[in-house]
Amino acid sequence: MKRSTLYSILLYPMLVALLLCTAPPLMSAAKVGDAAPEFTGAASNGKTLHLSDYRGKYVVLEWHNNGCPFVGKHYNSGNMQRLQKQWTDRGVVWFTILSSAPGKQGYVTASEENDYLAKMQAAPTAALLDPTGEIGHLYDAKTSPQMVVINPNGVVIYDGAIDDKATTDLNDVPGATNYVSRALEQAMAGKQVETPATRPYGCSVKYGDSTH
Amino acid sequence: MLDGLCIKLKMQGRSPSSRFSRALTFGVALLLCAASAHAEGTPIPHGTLELIAENPWIEKRELAAGQKFDVGLRFQLEKGWHIYWINPGDSGEPPRVEWRLPSGLSAGAIEWPTPRRLENSSSIVDYGYEDVILLIVPMHADPIVAAEQSAHIGADVKLLVCSHDMCIPGKAQLSLTLPIASHVSAQYSRYADLFAATRRSFPRPAPTNWRFSVADVNDSFVLTANLGRQITQAIFFPLAESQIENAAPQNPQPLATGFRLTLRKSDRLLKPIQRLQGVLVLSADQAYLIDAPLSKSGAVRSSYSIGIHPAQSLKEGSQQ
Repeated sequence: MKRSTLYSILLYPMLVALLLCTAPPLMSAAKVGDAAPEFTGAASNGKTLHLSDYRGKYVVLEWHNNGCPFVGKHYNSGNMQRLQKQWTDRGVVWFTILSSAPGKQGYVTASEENDYLAKMQAAPTAALLDPTGEIGHLYDAKTSPQMVVINPNGVVIYDGAIDDKATTDLNDVPGATNYVSRALEQAMAGKQVETPATRPYGCSVKYGDSTH
Repeated sequence: MLDGLCIKLKMQGRSPSSRFSRALTFGVALLLCAASAHAEGTPIPHGTLELIAENPWIEKRELAAGQKFDVGLRFQLEKGWHIYWINPGDSGEPPRVEWRLPSGLSAGAIEWPTPRRLENSSSIVDYGYEDVILLIVPMHADPIVAAEQSAHIGADVKLLVCSHDMCIPGKAQLSLTLPIASHVSAQYSRYADLFAATRRSFPRPAPTNWRFSVADVNDSFVLTANLGRQITQAIFFPLAESQIENAAPQNPQPLATGFRLTLRKSDRLLKPIQRLQGVLVLSADQAYLIDAPLSKSGAVRSSYSIGIHPAQSLKEGSQQ
Protein backbone atom coordinates (compact mmCIF):
# COMPACT_ATOMS: atom_id res chain seq x y z
CA MET A 1 0.00 0.00 0.00
CA LYS A 2 1.30 3.40 -0.92
CA ARG A 3 2.03 5.79 1.86
CA SER A 4 -0.38 8.42 0.50
CA THR A 5 -3.23 5.90 0.33
CA LEU A 6 -2.59 4.94 3.94
CA TYR A 7 -2.68 8.61 4.89
CA SER A 8 -5.95 9.20 3.14
CA ILE A 9 -7.48 6.09 4.75
CA LEU A 10 -6.54 7.42 8.16
CA LEU A 11 -7.02 11.08 7.42
CA TYR A 12 -10.54 11.00 6.01
CA PRO A 13 -12.21 9.31 8.97
CA MET A 14 -10.28 11.64 11.26
CA LEU A 15 -11.46 14.68 9.33
CA VAL A 16 -15.04 13.42 9.37
CA ALA A 17 -14.80 12.73 13.10
CA LEU A 18 -13.38 16.19 13.66
CA LEU A 19 -16.20 17.78 11.67
CA LEU A 20 -18.80 15.80 13.57
CA CYS A 21 -17.29 16.75 16.90
CA THR A 22 -17.18 20.43 16.09
CA ALA A 23 -20.57 20.46 14.38
CA PRO A 24 -22.86 23.11 15.79
CA PRO A 25 -25.26 23.75 17.36
CA LEU A 26 -25.38 21.67 20.51
CA MET A 27 -22.21 22.78 22.13
CA SER A 28 -22.04 22.19 25.82
CA ALA A 29 -23.50 25.31 27.33
CA ALA A 30 -23.34 26.65 30.85
CA LYS A 31 -24.92 24.33 33.38
CA VAL A 32 -25.86 24.96 36.96
CA GLY A 33 -22.80 24.15 39.07
CA ASP A 34 -20.38 24.90 36.21
CA ALA A 35 -18.17 27.93 35.78
CA ALA A 36 -20.05 30.68 33.96
CA PRO A 37 -18.53 31.06 30.47
CA GLU A 38 -16.56 34.26 30.02
CA PHE A 39 -17.91 36.80 27.56
CA THR A 40 -17.23 40.27 26.30
CA GLY A 41 -20.31 42.35 25.69
CA ALA A 42 -21.01 45.61 23.89
CA ALA A 43 -23.25 47.64 26.15
CA SER A 44 -25.85 50.05 24.76
CA ASN A 45 -24.07 52.84 26.69
CA GLY A 46 -21.01 52.33 24.48
CA LYS A 47 -18.86 50.48 27.01
CA THR A 48 -17.27 47.10 26.45
CA LEU A 49 -17.77 44.79 29.43
CA HIS A 50 -16.14 41.54 30.47
CA LEU A 51 -17.91 39.12 32.78
CA SER A 52 -14.61 38.35 34.53
CA ASP A 53 -14.36 41.99 35.67
CA TYR A 54 -17.28 41.28 37.99
CA ARG A 55 -15.78 38.29 39.80
CA GLY A 56 -16.53 38.72 43.50
CA LYS A 57 -20.08 39.91 42.85
CA TYR A 58 -23.35 38.19 42.12
CA VAL A 59 -24.30 38.63 38.46
CA VAL A 60 -27.80 38.26 36.99
CA LEU A 61 -28.27 37.70 33.24
CA GLU A 62 -31.70 38.56 31.84
CA TRP A 63 -32.55 37.63 28.22
CA HIS A 64 -34.65 40.36 26.67
CA ASN A 65 -36.88 40.90 23.62
CA ASN A 66 -39.10 43.97 23.84
CA GLY A 67 -41.72 42.45 21.50
CA CYS A 68 -42.23 39.27 23.51
CA PRO A 69 -45.48 39.24 25.53
CA PHE A 70 -43.84 37.25 28.36
CA VAL A 71 -41.23 40.00 28.67
CA GLY A 72 -43.98 42.60 28.37
CA LYS A 73 -45.71 41.11 31.41
CA HIS A 74 -42.66 41.83 33.57
CA TYR A 75 -41.89 45.30 32.17
CA ASN A 76 -45.46 46.62 31.89
CA SER A 77 -46.16 45.53 35.46
CA GLY A 78 -42.91 47.17 36.60
CA ASN A 79 -41.75 43.84 38.03
CA MET A 80 -38.48 43.63 36.10
CA GLN A 81 -37.52 47.22 36.89
CA ARG A 82 -38.33 46.61 40.58
CA LEU A 83 -36.10 43.52 40.63
CA GLN A 84 -33.28 45.35 38.84
CA LYS A 85 -33.43 48.21 41.36
CA GLN A 86 -33.81 45.95 44.39
CA TRP A 87 -30.83 43.76 43.55
CA THR A 88 -28.43 46.33 42.06
CA ASP A 89 -29.03 48.35 45.26
CA ARG A 90 -27.65 45.34 47.10
CA GLY A 91 -24.51 45.21 44.97
CA VAL A 92 -25.70 42.68 42.39
CA VAL A 93 -24.58 43.25 38.80
CA TRP A 94 -27.50 42.95 36.36
CA PHE A 95 -26.99 42.49 32.61
CA THR A 96 -29.96 42.64 30.26
CA ILE A 97 -28.91 40.70 27.15
CA LEU A 98 -30.46 41.18 23.71
CA SER A 99 -29.71 38.20 21.45
CA SER A 100 -32.21 38.94 18.65
CA ALA A 101 -30.55 38.97 15.24
CA PRO A 102 -30.95 42.01 12.91
CA GLY A 103 -34.40 41.92 11.29
CA LYS A 104 -35.82 39.70 14.04
CA GLN A 105 -38.26 40.64 16.77
CA GLY A 106 -36.47 42.35 19.65
CA TYR A 107 -33.46 43.53 17.63
CA VAL A 108 -32.62 47.13 18.49
CA THR A 109 -29.74 49.52 17.95
CA ALA A 110 -27.85 50.97 20.91
CA SER A 111 -29.77 54.25 20.83
CA GLU A 112 -33.13 52.47 20.52
CA GLU A 113 -32.22 50.36 23.56
CA ASN A 114 -31.17 53.45 25.52
CA ASP A 115 -34.52 55.08 24.68
CA TYR A 116 -36.33 51.93 25.82
CA LEU A 117 -34.40 51.77 29.11
CA ALA A 118 -35.25 55.42 29.79
CA LYS A 119 -38.90 55.06 28.83
CA MET A 120 -39.39 51.92 30.92
CA GLN A 121 -37.28 53.34 33.79
CA ALA A 122 -35.31 50.11 33.66
CA ALA A 123 -32.26 49.94 35.89
CA PRO A 124 -29.90 47.15 34.84
CA THR A 125 -26.16 47.64 35.31
CA ALA A 126 -25.96 47.48 31.51
CA ALA A 127 -27.86 46.25 28.46
CA LEU A 128 -25.62 44.08 26.28
CA LEU A 129 -26.24 43.96 22.53
CA ASP A 130 -25.68 40.41 21.27
CA PRO A 131 -27.02 40.40 17.67
CA THR A 132 -24.73 37.49 16.69
CA GLY A 133 -26.24 35.39 19.48
CA GLU A 134 -22.77 34.58 20.79
CA ILE A 135 -23.55 35.16 24.47
CA GLY A 136 -26.98 33.58 24.02
CA HIS A 137 -25.47 30.38 22.62
CA LEU A 138 -22.74 30.33 25.29
CA TYR A 139 -25.46 30.09 27.91
CA ASP A 140 -27.85 28.09 25.70
CA ALA A 141 -30.50 30.76 26.24
CA LYS A 142 -33.77 29.37 24.85
CA THR A 143 -36.24 32.09 25.76
CA SER A 144 -36.84 35.63 26.82
CA PRO A 145 -37.12 36.27 29.72
CA GLN A 146 -34.67 33.48 30.65
CA MET A 147 -32.66 34.26 33.78
CA VAL A 148 -29.23 33.12 34.96
CA VAL A 149 -27.64 33.85 38.36
CA ILE A 150 -23.86 33.63 38.82
CA ASN A 151 -22.27 33.65 42.27
CA PRO A 152 -19.16 35.66 43.34
CA ASN A 153 -16.95 32.66 42.52
CA GLY A 154 -18.16 32.75 38.92
CA VAL A 155 -20.33 29.62 39.21
CA VAL A 156 -23.85 29.37 37.71
CA ILE A 157 -26.25 28.89 40.64
CA TYR A 158 -29.57 29.39 38.85
CA ASP A 159 -30.73 28.93 35.25
CA GLY A 160 -34.32 29.06 34.10
CA ALA A 161 -37.58 30.96 34.38
CA ILE A 162 -38.00 34.27 36.15
CA ASP A 163 -40.88 32.89 38.23
CA ASP A 164 -43.35 30.02 38.52
CA LYS A 165 -46.20 31.59 36.48
CA ALA A 166 -45.61 30.76 32.82
CA THR A 167 -48.16 33.21 31.44
CA THR A 168 -48.41 36.57 29.71
CA ASP A 169 -51.01 37.86 32.18
CA LEU A 170 -50.00 40.90 34.26
CA ASN A 171 -52.31 39.69 37.06
CA ASP A 172 -50.04 36.68 37.57
CA VAL A 173 -47.07 38.78 38.69
CA PRO A 174 -48.10 39.52 42.33
CA GLY A 175 -48.76 35.92 43.39
CA ALA A 176 -45.73 34.40 41.66
CA THR A 177 -42.69 32.88 43.35
CA ASN A 178 -39.68 34.67 41.88
CA TYR A 179 -36.90 32.12 41.34
CA VAL A 180 -34.19 34.79 40.80
CA SER A 181 -34.87 36.54 44.11
CA ARG A 182 -35.15 33.20 45.89
CA ALA A 183 -31.80 32.05 44.49
CA LEU A 184 -30.08 35.31 45.43
CA GLU A 185 -31.59 35.38 48.94
CA GLN A 186 -30.69 31.77 49.65
CA ALA A 187 -27.16 32.06 48.24
CA MET A 188 -26.49 35.31 50.15
CA ALA A 189 -27.68 33.61 53.35
CA GLY A 190 -25.11 30.87 52.73
CA LYS A 191 -27.79 28.31 51.90
CA GLN A 192 -28.13 25.89 49.01
CA VAL A 193 -30.32 27.25 46.21
CA GLU A 194 -33.48 25.20 46.60
CA THR A 195 -34.58 25.41 42.93
CA PRO A 196 -31.40 25.80 40.83
CA ALA A 197 -32.97 25.05 37.41
CA THR A 198 -36.42 25.38 35.86
CA ARG A 199 -37.86 25.43 32.37
CA PRO A 200 -37.25 28.99 31.16
CA TYR A 201 -40.70 29.94 29.92
CA GLY A 202 -41.24 32.60 27.27
CA CYS A 203 -40.68 33.36 23.59
CA SER A 204 -37.90 31.58 21.74
CA VAL A 205 -34.73 33.66 21.44
CA LYS A 206 -34.70 35.08 17.89
CA TYR A 207 -31.26 33.91 16.82
CA GLY A 208 -29.84 34.59 13.38
CA ASP A 209 -30.19 30.92 12.40
CA SER A 210 -33.93 30.83 13.13
CA THR A 211 -35.95 29.03 10.48
CA HIS A 212 -38.70 30.84 8.61
CA MET B 1 -69.00 39.06 17.59
CA LEU B 2 -72.13 36.98 17.46
CA ASP B 3 -71.22 35.50 20.82
CA GLY B 4 -71.18 38.95 22.37
CA LEU B 5 -74.54 39.73 20.82
CA CYS B 6 -75.81 36.42 22.10
CA ILE B 7 -74.95 37.30 25.70
CA LYS B 8 -76.38 40.80 25.31
CA LEU B 9 -79.67 39.49 24.01
CA LYS B 10 -79.96 37.02 26.84
CA MET B 11 -79.46 39.80 29.35
CA GLN B 12 -82.23 41.79 27.70
CA GLY B 13 -84.36 38.70 27.97
CA ARG B 14 -84.09 38.95 31.73
CA SER B 15 -85.25 42.58 31.89
CA PRO B 16 -88.91 43.17 32.86
CA SER B 17 -91.11 43.14 29.80
CA SER B 18 -94.23 41.45 28.60
CA ARG B 19 -94.28 37.71 28.37
CA PHE B 20 -94.65 37.93 24.61
CA SER B 21 -91.68 40.17 23.98
CA ARG B 22 -89.60 38.11 26.40
CA ALA B 23 -90.44 34.99 24.47
CA LEU B 24 -89.70 36.81 21.22
CA THR B 25 -86.36 38.09 22.46
CA PHE B 26 -85.49 34.65 23.76
CA GLY B 27 -86.40 33.16 20.40
CA VAL B 28 -84.21 35.64 18.54
CA ALA B 29 -81.40 35.02 21.02
CA LEU B 30 -81.67 31.29 20.52
CA LEU B 31 -81.58 31.68 16.75
CA LEU B 32 -78.55 33.93 16.91
CA CYS B 33 -76.78 31.63 19.36
CA ALA B 34 -77.50 28.71 17.10
CA ALA B 35 -76.19 30.79 14.19
CA SER B 36 -73.04 31.64 16.14
CA ALA B 37 -72.43 27.96 16.78
CA HIS B 38 -72.24 27.48 13.03
CA ALA B 39 -70.17 30.56 12.28
CA GLU B 40 -66.48 30.25 11.52
CA GLY B 41 -65.58 30.74 15.14
CA THR B 42 -64.24 33.40 17.45
CA PRO B 43 -61.21 35.34 16.22
CA ILE B 44 -57.90 34.60 17.91
CA PRO B 45 -54.52 35.96 16.80
CA HIS B 46 -53.93 34.65 13.25
CA GLY B 47 -56.83 32.24 13.35
CA THR B 48 -60.17 31.29 14.79
CA LEU B 49 -61.35 29.15 17.67
CA GLU B 50 -64.68 27.43 18.07
CA LEU B 51 -66.27 25.30 20.80
CA ILE B 52 -67.99 22.41 19.07
CA ALA B 53 -69.68 19.16 20.04
CA GLU B 54 -69.42 15.84 18.29
CA ASN B 55 -73.20 15.60 18.04
CA PRO B 56 -75.58 18.57 17.85
CA TRP B 57 -77.64 17.09 20.74
CA ILE B 58 -77.17 14.99 23.88
CA GLU B 59 -79.28 11.88 24.31
CA LYS B 60 -81.29 11.89 27.52
CA ARG B 61 -81.04 8.12 27.90
CA GLU B 62 -77.24 8.18 27.65
CA LEU B 63 -76.97 11.03 30.14
CA ALA B 64 -79.25 9.20 32.58
CA ALA B 65 -76.98 6.16 32.23
CA GLY B 66 -74.00 8.31 33.20
CA GLN B 67 -72.36 8.24 29.77
CA LYS B 68 -69.88 10.95 28.85
CA PHE B 69 -70.14 13.07 25.73
CA ASP B 70 -67.34 14.83 23.85
CA VAL B 71 -66.89 18.48 23.02
CA GLY B 72 -63.88 20.01 21.34
CA LEU B 73 -61.92 23.19 20.81
CA ARG B 74 -61.43 23.62 17.08
CA PHE B 75 -58.48 25.85 16.21
CA GLN B 76 -57.92 27.04 12.66
CA LEU B 77 -54.61 28.79 12.21
CA GLU B 78 -53.11 30.75 9.36
CA LYS B 79 -50.11 29.23 7.64
CA GLY B 80 -46.90 29.77 9.59
CA TRP B 81 -48.61 30.00 13.00
CA HIS B 82 -48.86 27.36 15.69
CA ILE B 83 -50.13 26.51 19.16
CA TYR B 84 -48.51 24.15 21.65
CA TRP B 85 -48.71 20.60 22.99
CA ILE B 86 -49.06 19.81 26.72
CA ASN B 87 -45.25 19.88 26.82
CA PRO B 88 -44.52 22.89 24.62
CA GLY B 89 -40.82 22.13 24.35
CA ASP B 90 -38.26 24.92 24.61
CA SER B 91 -40.60 27.91 24.34
CA GLY B 92 -44.31 28.73 24.24
CA GLU B 93 -47.21 27.55 26.38
CA PRO B 94 -50.15 25.20 25.75
CA PRO B 95 -53.70 26.61 25.65
CA ARG B 96 -55.45 26.72 29.04
CA VAL B 97 -59.21 26.35 29.46
CA GLU B 98 -61.50 27.35 32.30
CA TRP B 99 -64.90 25.78 31.92
CA ARG B 100 -68.19 27.40 32.89
CA LEU B 101 -70.55 24.49 33.38
CA PRO B 102 -74.00 23.94 34.81
CA SER B 103 -74.11 21.93 38.04
CA GLY B 104 -73.88 18.23 37.34
CA LEU B 105 -71.44 18.61 34.45
CA SER B 106 -67.69 18.30 34.80
CA ALA B 107 -64.98 18.54 32.17
CA GLY B 108 -62.25 15.94 31.82
CA ALA B 109 -58.69 16.64 30.73
CA ILE B 110 -57.80 17.66 27.18
CA GLU B 111 -57.01 14.68 24.97
CA TRP B 112 -53.89 15.83 23.15
CA PRO B 113 -53.33 14.66 19.56
CA THR B 114 -49.84 13.65 18.47
CA PRO B 115 -47.76 16.84 18.25
CA ARG B 116 -45.34 17.99 15.58
CA ARG B 117 -41.74 18.98 16.07
CA LEU B 118 -41.45 22.72 15.37
CA GLU B 119 -37.86 23.71 14.70
CA ASN B 120 -37.41 27.28 15.72
CA SER B 121 -33.65 27.47 15.31
CA SER B 122 -30.77 25.01 15.53
CA SER B 123 -30.91 25.08 19.33
CA ILE B 124 -34.64 25.64 19.98
CA VAL B 125 -37.34 23.05 19.24
CA ASP B 126 -40.98 23.30 20.27
CA TYR B 127 -43.84 20.77 20.18
CA GLY B 128 -47.20 21.83 18.84
CA TYR B 129 -49.78 22.00 16.12
CA GLU B 130 -50.39 23.90 12.90
CA ASP B 131 -53.38 24.36 10.57
CA VAL B 132 -56.62 22.79 11.93
CA ILE B 133 -56.45 21.21 15.39
CA LEU B 134 -59.19 19.71 17.51
CA LEU B 135 -58.59 19.34 21.23
CA ILE B 136 -61.25 16.91 22.46
CA VAL B 137 -62.51 17.20 26.02
CA PRO B 138 -64.85 14.60 27.55
CA MET B 139 -67.78 15.93 29.58
CA HIS B 140 -68.91 13.80 32.46
CA ALA B 141 -72.51 14.26 33.54
CA ASP B 142 -74.35 13.46 36.71
CA PRO B 143 -77.56 11.59 35.69
CA ILE B 144 -79.63 14.50 37.13
CA VAL B 145 -78.55 16.58 34.12
CA ALA B 146 -80.81 14.37 31.98
CA ALA B 147 -83.82 16.20 33.47
CA GLU B 148 -82.73 19.48 31.85
CA GLN B 149 -83.83 20.75 28.42
CA SER B 150 -80.34 21.75 27.36
CA ALA B 151 -76.81 22.08 28.57
CA HIS B 152 -75.06 25.44 28.29
CA ILE B 153 -71.30 24.98 28.13
CA GLY B 154 -68.90 27.89 28.36
CA ALA B 155 -65.13 27.93 27.98
CA ASP B 156 -62.66 30.72 28.70
CA VAL B 157 -59.53 29.95 26.75
CA LYS B 158 -56.15 31.60 27.18
CA LEU B 159 -53.65 30.75 24.51
CA LEU B 160 -50.43 31.72 22.85
CA VAL B 161 -50.22 31.72 19.06
CA CYS B 162 -46.70 31.91 17.67
CA SER B 163 -44.80 31.99 14.41
CA HIS B 164 -41.04 31.51 14.33
CA ASP B 165 -40.72 35.28 14.53
CA MET B 166 -43.21 36.29 17.19
CA CYS B 167 -45.77 35.22 19.78
CA ILE B 168 -49.17 36.77 20.39
CA PRO B 169 -51.27 35.95 23.45
CA GLY B 170 -54.99 35.57 22.91
CA LYS B 171 -58.17 35.06 24.89
CA ALA B 172 -61.52 33.72 23.79
CA GLN B 173 -64.85 33.36 25.53
CA LEU B 174 -66.72 30.51 23.90
CA SER B 175 -70.13 29.03 24.47
CA LEU B 176 -72.24 26.21 23.18
CA THR B 177 -75.81 25.19 23.94
CA LEU B 178 -76.66 21.56 23.39
CA PRO B 179 -80.28 20.41 23.49
CA ILE B 180 -80.97 17.34 25.61
CA ALA B 181 -83.35 15.19 23.62
CA SER B 182 -85.12 11.94 24.40
CA HIS B 183 -85.84 10.93 20.81
CA VAL B 184 -83.09 11.83 18.44
CA SER B 185 -83.79 11.26 14.81
CA ALA B 186 -80.79 10.68 12.60
CA GLN B 187 -79.35 14.15 12.32
CA TYR B 188 -76.41 15.42 10.35
CA SER B 189 -73.40 16.18 12.49
CA ARG B 190 -70.98 18.32 10.53
CA TYR B 191 -68.16 17.60 12.96
CA ALA B 192 -68.44 13.80 13.24
CA ASP B 193 -65.67 13.31 10.67
CA LEU B 194 -63.33 15.75 12.40
CA PHE B 195 -63.81 14.02 15.77
CA ALA B 196 -63.28 10.61 14.16
CA ALA B 197 -60.15 11.74 12.30
CA THR B 198 -58.75 13.36 15.44
CA ARG B 199 -59.29 10.17 17.46
CA ARG B 200 -57.52 8.18 14.77
CA SER B 201 -54.52 10.51 15.14
CA PHE B 202 -54.29 10.02 18.92
CA PRO B 203 -51.26 8.19 20.16
CA ARG B 204 -52.37 4.64 20.98
CA PRO B 205 -51.20 2.46 23.84
CA ALA B 206 -48.20 0.52 22.59
CA PRO B 207 -48.93 -3.18 21.84
CA THR B 208 -48.37 -5.30 24.94
CA ASN B 209 -45.73 -7.47 23.29
CA TRP B 210 -43.47 -4.49 22.58
CA ARG B 211 -40.62 -4.02 25.00
CA PHE B 212 -38.96 -0.76 25.94
CA SER B 213 -36.01 -0.10 28.15
CA VAL B 214 -34.17 3.06 29.08
CA ALA B 215 -30.57 3.20 30.22
CA ASP B 216 -28.90 6.19 31.81
CA VAL B 217 -25.63 6.50 29.88
CA ASN B 218 -23.51 9.55 30.72
CA ASP B 219 -25.21 12.61 29.23
CA SER B 220 -28.01 10.65 27.51
CA PHE B 221 -30.94 8.33 28.02
CA VAL B 222 -30.72 5.42 25.62
CA LEU B 223 -34.16 4.13 24.69
CA THR B 224 -34.12 0.63 23.24
CA ALA B 225 -37.29 -0.73 21.66
CA ASN B 226 -38.05 -4.32 20.76
CA LEU B 227 -41.02 -4.41 18.39
CA GLY B 228 -40.22 -7.69 16.67
CA ARG B 229 -39.23 -5.98 13.43
CA GLN B 230 -36.62 -3.54 12.23
CA ILE B 231 -37.51 0.15 12.53
CA THR B 232 -35.57 2.86 10.73
CA GLN B 233 -37.51 6.01 11.67
CA ALA B 234 -38.62 7.06 15.15
CA ILE B 235 -39.09 10.30 17.07
CA PHE B 236 -39.75 10.52 20.79
CA PHE B 237 -41.78 13.39 22.27
CA PRO B 238 -41.24 13.64 26.05
CA LEU B 239 -44.32 14.28 28.16
CA ALA B 240 -42.35 16.01 30.91
CA GLU B 241 -40.51 19.23 30.20
CA SER B 242 -36.78 19.61 30.89
CA GLN B 243 -35.99 15.88 30.77
CA ILE B 244 -34.29 15.77 27.40
CA GLU B 245 -32.65 18.36 25.16
CA ASN B 246 -35.45 18.98 22.65
CA ALA B 247 -33.18 20.24 19.86
CA ALA B 248 -30.64 17.41 20.08
CA PRO B 249 -30.77 14.86 17.25
CA GLN B 250 -32.19 11.55 18.52
CA ASN B 251 -30.07 9.49 16.10
CA PRO B 252 -32.42 6.56 15.47
CA GLN B 253 -30.36 3.39 15.11
CA PRO B 254 -32.14 0.44 13.46
CA LEU B 255 -31.82 -2.90 15.28
CA ALA B 256 -32.81 -6.34 13.99
CA THR B 257 -35.96 -6.33 16.13
CA GLY B 258 -36.54 -2.63 16.72
CA PHE B 259 -34.47 0.50 17.15
CA ARG B 260 -32.49 2.56 19.60
CA LEU B 261 -32.75 6.30 20.28
CA THR B 262 -30.15 8.40 22.05
CA LEU B 263 -31.90 11.19 23.92
CA ARG B 264 -29.57 13.85 25.24
CA LYS B 265 -30.40 14.85 28.80
CA SER B 266 -31.55 18.40 29.38
CA ASP B 267 -28.98 20.65 31.04
CA ARG B 268 -31.78 21.57 33.44
CA LEU B 269 -32.34 18.00 34.57
CA LEU B 270 -30.60 17.97 37.93
CA LYS B 271 -32.28 15.03 39.65
CA PRO B 272 -32.42 11.43 38.45
CA ILE B 273 -35.72 10.45 36.83
CA GLN B 274 -37.61 7.22 37.46
CA ARG B 275 -39.25 6.77 34.07
CA LEU B 276 -39.48 8.21 30.61
CA GLN B 277 -43.03 8.90 29.44
CA GLY B 278 -44.07 10.27 26.11
CA VAL B 279 -45.23 9.72 22.59
CA LEU B 280 -43.26 7.66 20.13
CA VAL B 281 -43.93 8.42 16.47
CA LEU B 282 -42.90 5.80 13.91
CA SER B 283 -44.77 7.23 10.91
CA ALA B 284 -47.53 9.72 10.10
CA ASP B 285 -50.26 7.36 11.34
CA GLN B 286 -48.30 5.37 13.91
CA ALA B 287 -47.96 7.11 17.27
CA TYR B 288 -47.79 5.29 20.58
CA LEU B 289 -47.84 6.22 24.24
CA ILE B 290 -44.91 4.79 26.07
CA ASP B 291 -43.99 4.70 29.73
CA ALA B 292 -40.62 3.06 30.27
CA PRO B 293 -38.94 2.81 33.67
CA LEU B 294 -35.24 3.53 33.83
CA SER B 295 -33.08 0.52 34.41
CA LYS B 296 -31.05 0.70 37.61
CA SER B 297 -27.66 2.19 36.98
CA GLY B 298 -25.04 -0.49 36.81
CA ALA B 299 -27.54 -3.05 35.55
CA VAL B 300 -26.27 -5.52 33.00
CA ARG B 301 -27.02 -3.98 29.63
CA SER B 302 -28.57 -7.09 28.12
CA SER B 303 -31.00 -7.72 30.95
CA TYR B 304 -32.99 -4.53 31.19
CA SER B 305 -35.90 -5.46 29.00
CA ILE B 306 -38.93 -4.25 30.90
CA GLY B 307 -42.53 -4.19 29.74
CA ILE B 308 -44.34 -0.90 29.41
CA HIS B 309 -47.06 0.09 31.79
CA PRO B 310 -50.63 0.77 30.77
CA ALA B 311 -50.57 3.99 28.83
CA GLN B 312 -53.77 5.13 30.56
CA SER B 313 -51.61 6.22 33.47
CA LEU B 314 -50.09 9.00 31.36
CA LYS B 315 -51.17 12.29 32.80
CA GLU B 316 -53.54 14.08 30.41
CA GLY B 317 -52.12 12.06 27.58
CA SER B 318 -54.68 9.29 27.73
CA GLN B 319 -57.00 8.25 25.00
CA GLN B 320 -60.15 6.32 25.22
